Amino acid sequence: MNFTLSYLLEQTINGITLGGLYALVALGYTMVYGILLMINFAHSELFMAGGYVGLGVLKLLADPAIAKGGLSFLAPMQAFFNSGTAGFVALIAVTFLISAIVVGLMGVFIERFAYRPLRHAPRLAPLISAIGVSIFLQNAALLWISSKQLPYSRADGTSFVPAKTAFTVFGVSVSTMQIMIIVTSLLLLAFLDTFVSKTRIGKAMRATSQDREAAGLMGVNINSVIALAFFIGPALGAVAGVFNGMYYGSVKFNMGFIPGIKSFTAAVIGGIGNLRGAMLGGFLLGIIESLASGFISNAYRDVIAFIVLILVLVFRPGGLLGEAVAEKV
Amino acid sequence: MGMGNVRKYSALIAVLAIVAMVVTGCGSTATTGGTSAGKTVTVTIGIGAPLTDGAVALGKGMVRGTNLAVKQANATKEIKDLGIVLQTVEGDDKGDPTTGGNVATQFVSNPSLVGVMGTLNSGVTRVAVKIYKQGNIVQVSPANTAVDLTQMGNENYFRVCTVDSVQGPFAADYAFKDAGKKAAFVVDDSTVYGVGLADEWAKQFEKDGGKVTGREKTGDKDTDFKALVTKIKSTNPDLVYYGGIYNSGALLSKQVKEGGLAVPVMSGDGSFDPEWIKLAGAEAAEGDMASNVGLPIDLMPKGQDFMAAYTAEFPGEVPAAYDAYSYDAANVIIKAIIVAAKDLGADKVTSTEGKKAIIAAVGKTNFEGVTGKVTFDSKGDTLNKTITVYAVKSGKWVPVSK
Amino acid sequence: MATDMTRSRSVKRPAVPPRKLALWIVLALALIIVPVTLQAAAGLGFLVRILVIVGIWVLLALGLNIVVGYAGLLDLGYIAFYAMGGYAGMLVGQAVSGRLGGATFWVVLIPAALAGTLTGLVLGFPVLKLRGDYLAIVTLGFGEIVRICLNNDLLGLSNGATGLPRGVEQVVPPWPANWLADNVRFPTPIGEFAFGTNLFWYFVVLMLIIGAIVMIRRLDNSRLGRAWVAMRENEVAAAACGINIRTQKLWAFALGAMSGGIAGVTFAYVQQFISPESFTFMESVFVVCVVVLGGMGSIPGVIVGALLIRGVPDLIQGLMVAGVIQLSGDATSMITGYRFLVFGLLMVIMMAVRPQGIIPSKRRALELHPEDDRTLAEEDMQLWDTSHRDISPDDV
Repeated sequence: MNFTLSYLLEQTINGITLGGLYALVALGYTMVYGILLMINFAHSELFMAGGYVGLGVLKLLADPAIAKGGLSFLAPMQAFFNSGTAGFVALIAVTFLISAIVVGLMGVFIERFAYRPLRHAPRLAPLISAIGVSIFLQNAALLWISSKQLPYSRADGTSFVPAKTAFTVFGVSVSTMQIMIIVTSLLLLAFLDTFVSKTRIGKAMRATSQDREAAGLMGVNINSVIALAFFIGPALGAVAGVFNGMYYGSVKFNMGFIPGIKSFTAAVIGGIGNLRGAMLGGFLLGIIESLASGFISNAYRDVIAFIVLILVLVFRPGGLLGEAVAEKV
Repeated sequence: MGMGNVRKYSALIAVLAIVAMVVTGCGSTATTGGTSAGKTVTVTIGIGAPLTDGAVALGKGMVRGTNLAVKQANATKEIKDLGIVLQTVEGDDKGDPTTGGNVATQFVSNPSLVGVMGTLNSGVTRVAVKIYKQGNIVQVSPANTAVDLTQMGNENYFRVCTVDSVQGPFAADYAFKDAGKKAAFVVDDSTVYGVGLADEWAKQFEKDGGKVTGREKTGDKDTDFKALVTKIKSTNPDLVYYGGIYNSGALLSKQVKEGGLAVPVMSGDGSFDPEWIKLAGAEAAEGDMASNVGLPIDLMPKGQDFMAAYTAEFPGEVPAAYDAYSYDAANVIIKAIIVAAKDLGADKVTSTEGKKAIIAAVGKTNFEGVTGKVTFDSKGDTLNKTITVYAVKSGKWVPVSK
Repeated sequence: MATDMTRSRSVKRPAVPPRKLALWIVLALALIIVPVTLQAAAGLGFLVRILVIVGIWVLLALGLNIVVGYAGLLDLGYIAFYAMGGYAGMLVGQAVSGRLGGATFWVVLIPAALAGTLTGLVLGFPVLKLRGDYLAIVTLGFGEIVRICLNNDLLGLSNGATGLPRGVEQVVPPWPANWLADNVRFPTPIGEFAFGTNLFWYFVVLMLIIGAIVMIRRLDNSRLGRAWVAMRENEVAAAACGINIRTQKLWAFALGAMSGGIAGVTFAYVQQFISPESFTFMESVFVVCVVVLGGMGSIPGVIVGALLIRGVPDLIQGLMVAGVIQLSGDATSMITGYRFLVFGLLMVIMMAVRPQGIIPSKRRALELHPEDDRTLAEEDMQLWDTSHRDISPDDV
């Protein structure tokens, strides 16, 4: 094997793409943790739900087999979405919008019924409740959607996003999907960062994460802020879920599990509770994994990722961007 | 006690009541569901397969194949005259050895159960077969390919499929000699099955004079092969060999082609499934190869009959890799039950004596099955060592080897 | 340590009231009679195996309970100690079984316990300074590292995905399992009783559990146990009182890991086989669920938790597979499929109804937590005017 510069670049681009997905999911973990100090274990299942909702929407809007299978009123709409660049952009936009909203609402719903009753319970109770939600959602997908791995494509096997090489520089090929994922994740991250640091609601969120009670006394509606965090996080997770399906080519009921652990790891590497930390951690982890797989061994990529995590935490116990928390006396 | 406590306890009681209702609900149906009409003897065959986790598509196919065999047998005059009613019971092992061990104990506890058709995963068999041995239950696997399973002195264990050390080299020979592939990158899925098959394949491929350009491991639930594909590409192979089952393998195939590497992916019997083509997409799957045990169903003398019965029983279903093997494996057990019933009397079949007679009868199996002639050597391996290599042509698996 | 033990023994205990004593005797008899009856009853023998697996989980959960319940450290990679114990026991056992025969299992309990403890110390030493959820993710990562390394046969000892023992090697059942199986059998009104392997393992696991409980109860009342309580309540205050936090945490980690190691080797010998797929992250999560759902820091809680989480799903499938209850194929598939869905839902409901666990620890209930303000508010309500009852505590 010859490790050339173009090989290094191509692996780095693989890593940045993967990192973009991790970052999007990691934000959901970090937002919830920042405000409620709980690990939302069910977040990985919302990522999975995003993948399924996205596939459903794509099939309805752009799979002729669905229209032929009895839903003929969809045919004219499908004709538009399947034609030209405008149709393609609209298709992608509508898919992401619907998946994000549906899954965001799922997040709000889960918070309302599974976590809110536990806000004053012992610390591990919400974690167990979240694990319960996670098991429930996985099995719901298994029983009510499919136990099989579903291809992320039309019934005739063609992909919704053509997996073409967009351009090649210095022997490095970059695909359309990779550009889409990297650009979208960066845009969403920038948007979220501005939203949290500049807007009034964003300030309320930050206040709540610093001191929930004090923020409440200052007139912040705690419940709405928490509900909002439980909307935004899963919505971003859903975007990552749809991308995941398009990029890797399938959805399965247990697909959220591994990306879930990794994204949580990313959030911790960056400093949990810190939005920019989650983004940094996500990209870093993606690149590390990709390079570990490319230069060391694919079998040990997760081992290397977790060793990096342990090293980061041993030397910077608060994560890269997190502050070492002063102990309250 | 405060109001809050009353509320908590009443909810707790409600939860317990639901659990109790579920349990008693099962109990009450039991009294009505039990069939003991006249003097017929109910004899049960267990199906050990992954049904909710692991390779579910293959597991469900195993259930279909077995159920078909049992249904046909129940309709024969021979079984009716003996006063036997055959039935099956599914045990979901999730492809996990511990769960498989529990399932095995449950099968052994079932008083009417005399034989087990299963398992899919060699790892599950390692735990389960010892439990069956203690219970004098015969186990006939349609799918275990780990070589050493028949070398462990379990006289109750048989398999109708052939092993990695036969299948791997055959496929390697085909790849090198017939398909003209000279350089292969070998990937496995870190499971017993995948590693074993990939090792055997690579050994033979190198012996033939081919070059293994690299060897990597992935996980059996992995979907992200992007970094791996970049690595594979840098070694310039003209073939990728994947030891593993269809759900990850098909995605590897898809991503290999998307990554700009126009070489086919070759795999083993666990990938020989229509799902491979669906998941990879017909375009990406075109040219991919998979080896499978036995001859193609429609070339078998009994293949046409099997397909006709299969489609009539399960409309819309296409046989997965092991449906026909499961059908044959179930028939191995059924024929042994008949032998034991004729020798000892139908009511003795489920006794220890009967179970031992069934194990002995399975060892002497000799009939023409859907997958070929079914006979076993002294260790329980099938003597049918035919392998066929298939390739995807225009979205379908087509046999390509002679 | 030794002096602490003697001191705790010298504390005068009140005499056990007769009613409680009777209850203990009934319990002890039930623990013997129930499995023996199940073993004899035709078609129910599989329940003994489920009890064995549940018992191993009780052992595991008792160990994690020291770490989570007593010392307050969330460990999401606890299964790593289980794996290390299992592999170490199996490797040493296969090396010496030729010489030791039936004594092998009893001897390898020691290397397995040591392997667990050492792994606990090796992991604990660098990471125990981390707090709360950082510790959780690091332990999670460690658990995965161990599993992947075993699966990839990093040191050439674990035999990769295939697992141990290698090839045609056999695991020698411990003495006197074979003797009992061959010699103890007699007819009973409900079926022939044979002292099967599962029943043998049931008693082995029962003994190990009793040993672990005795040890934990001793610890609980020792200086170490009190130090853990202080640490869990308020780490800074505990440190100010002269408790060496790091040492106490290491003790908790090492003792918990030891129990995990013993559970691991028992599991390996019950199965006569061990492979990496038994040590996934989900297993770690389930052990945490057992502890929290049962009641952190509570021994009876942990036992009930293991019965519910590990026993019930297997029981439901088992009753159908073993032909105890006969349902149509569709109904069987439905119940098999839905049991985990319902299980997940029950976990959520359970936490909403009883977040402190099914059988909460009495000592923990006495402690004050900042999160207990709801409980305090409820107590206030009770003391307050009864006419205000319809105001829910949530509104306070």
